[in-house]
Amino acid sequence: MAFPLPRGVTASEIAFLAEMETVTIVPRQRLEGLELLGGPVEPLVPPRRASLPLWLALLLKRQRRANIIPPAWLHPEPLALILEVESQHQDYKNAFSPPPPLPGQPSILDQGALPTARPQYTPDGNRYYAAPPFLPQNTAQPVASSRDPPSLPFHWVEVGNLLLEAASDDLMDPDQIRRLLKDLREVRMAKMRSGIDVLDAAATGGGGVALTGVGSMELGEERGFVTGVVDGLRRIGSSKEQARREQMAEQRANGGYNGTQDDDEEEDYMEF
Amino acid sequence: MDIDDILASVDHGPGASRESAALDHQLLTRFWVSERAVTEVLPWPAPLMERIMDRVRKQIETIEDLAASSDILTTDNPNLNLRLSILQTDLARTQYIVRSLLRARLAKITKYSMHYLVHLASRNKNPSETQSTASQNPNQQPADSVPDISSLTDLSPLSESEASFLHAHQTLLAGHYASSFMGAFPRQLRRLDDNAGGTSMIQGPDLKEVVFVRCLGAEVPVVVGGEDEEDGDETGVMMRMGDVWVVRWEGVKAAWGKGEVELL
Repeated sequence: MAFPLPRGVTASEIAFLAEMETVTIVPRQRLEGLELLGGPVEPLVPPRRASLPLWLALLLKRQRRANIIPPAWLHPEPLALILEVESQHQDYKNAFSPPPPLPGQPSILDQGALPTARPQYTPDGNRYYAAPPFLPQNTAQPVASSRDPPSLPFHWVEVGNLLLEAASDDLMDPDQIRRLLKDLREVRMAKMRSGIDVLDAAATGGGGVALTGVGSMELGEERGFVTGVVDGLRRIGSSKEQARREQMAEQRANGGYNGTQDDDEEEDYMEF
Repeated sequence: MDIDDILASVDHGPGASRESAALDHQLLTRFWVSERAVTEVLPWPAPLMERIMDRVRKQIETIEDLAASSDILTTDNPNLNLRLSILQTDLARTQYIVRSLLRARLAKITKYSMHYLVHLASRNKNPSETQSTASQNPNQQPADSVPDISSLTDLSPLSESEASFLHAHQTLLAGHYASSFMGAFPRQLRRLDDNAGGTSMIQGPDLKEVVFVRCLGAEVPVVVGGEDEEDGDETGVMMRMGDVWVVRWEGVKAAWGKGEVELL
């Protein structure tokens, strides 16, 4: 057996990914810059703040070589506000609170503004859009404008728990934060469960179910269940879908559709 | 050290700059998550993996040099042990991703071995030719139905070593089947790619399984049906930037290829 794990990243792999998030630290000692495989690390000069990947910040924190400045969202006030939105707000009765915007995405306050995706280019010439965990969503001062309402980043469960566990003395009122995180988990988990009803939409071709604002660990928890339900629904509905497809093909044929069918190959893979 | 290493140390190429190390790391991480999320084998990103493995080799050398210098000058640099442990942790994390990625691919390749062999062979030559010559062979063996892919140049989505592993694996497996039970079958039932009665014996990955995606482009439509179907240009729901959706893999595969969606 080459690989025993199921499809989709597992909980420990998600935690591994969350450790790539960037956090802000205050170093307690000097350390020259390092060229890591994950990218260069800036020199540490106390008391100047530095941005490091979370795994490195935790390594330094455990050896008492640095203090971690908690992410902007990991304070009692923003968490209480998000919890209020999640549980009380009319618009988010059945949806998660909005996630932090991606680079180029308009703020939640600018309704109607068009998003402008800003791609980087890879050395192979392909487009690359940065996404969590490689966005500064867990630094002490997020790049997003300060008028944005607080929001939970993609890896909020993992980052929150790792920091509570390893750096609770750096957090403001850790017990309160722990309580709020737990409440948030429960409110959002209930939403995830109640959303099972609409999964039928994802079982049809071209359809889908939106889970915008979901956290990585929350996805990981529900992945097996959701994919299982949707694939079951798809099998049940496959004859219906086939009939609909044939009907549409017939309509197209009557409307003078002239496409050529290539059925000499079983699969037609795309060339990248 | 051979001539290639010397050349590599002189010619850094486009992959040697510091920014591209960070970018390649992000690309590798994203590709690993994608590979773990879907049932089929994704196209092998050969240039990216070459750059990554090149950096891993260089990093190992750096660590070895540092470790060697620590034996001689213990008091010279108090941070040496810390630096070493950071570098080693970083190396282990990258190696873990590469290992997990390769193992996930191997698991899929062995699971759908016949599918990928036939797929590779069919794209490079006329598929009816093998079928007709093989059925006339009086000493039909299961191993005969394993297509020969040694002369192929286009191995997408597999890498070269994966393709040779795939062929060796399937040849061994066919030989084993033949000696354990298939040799006792009637001649016409000995093929591993039998499709008598309209049912193909070859199992392929299910492209209709759902995946979780995040939309990274401004607007990305979900395609109805896969790209191999006649109504492949028909679109369903529209995903907007930053949205997370549960959709069929075949509906977003083309967008994934363009980098406009990310698998979660």
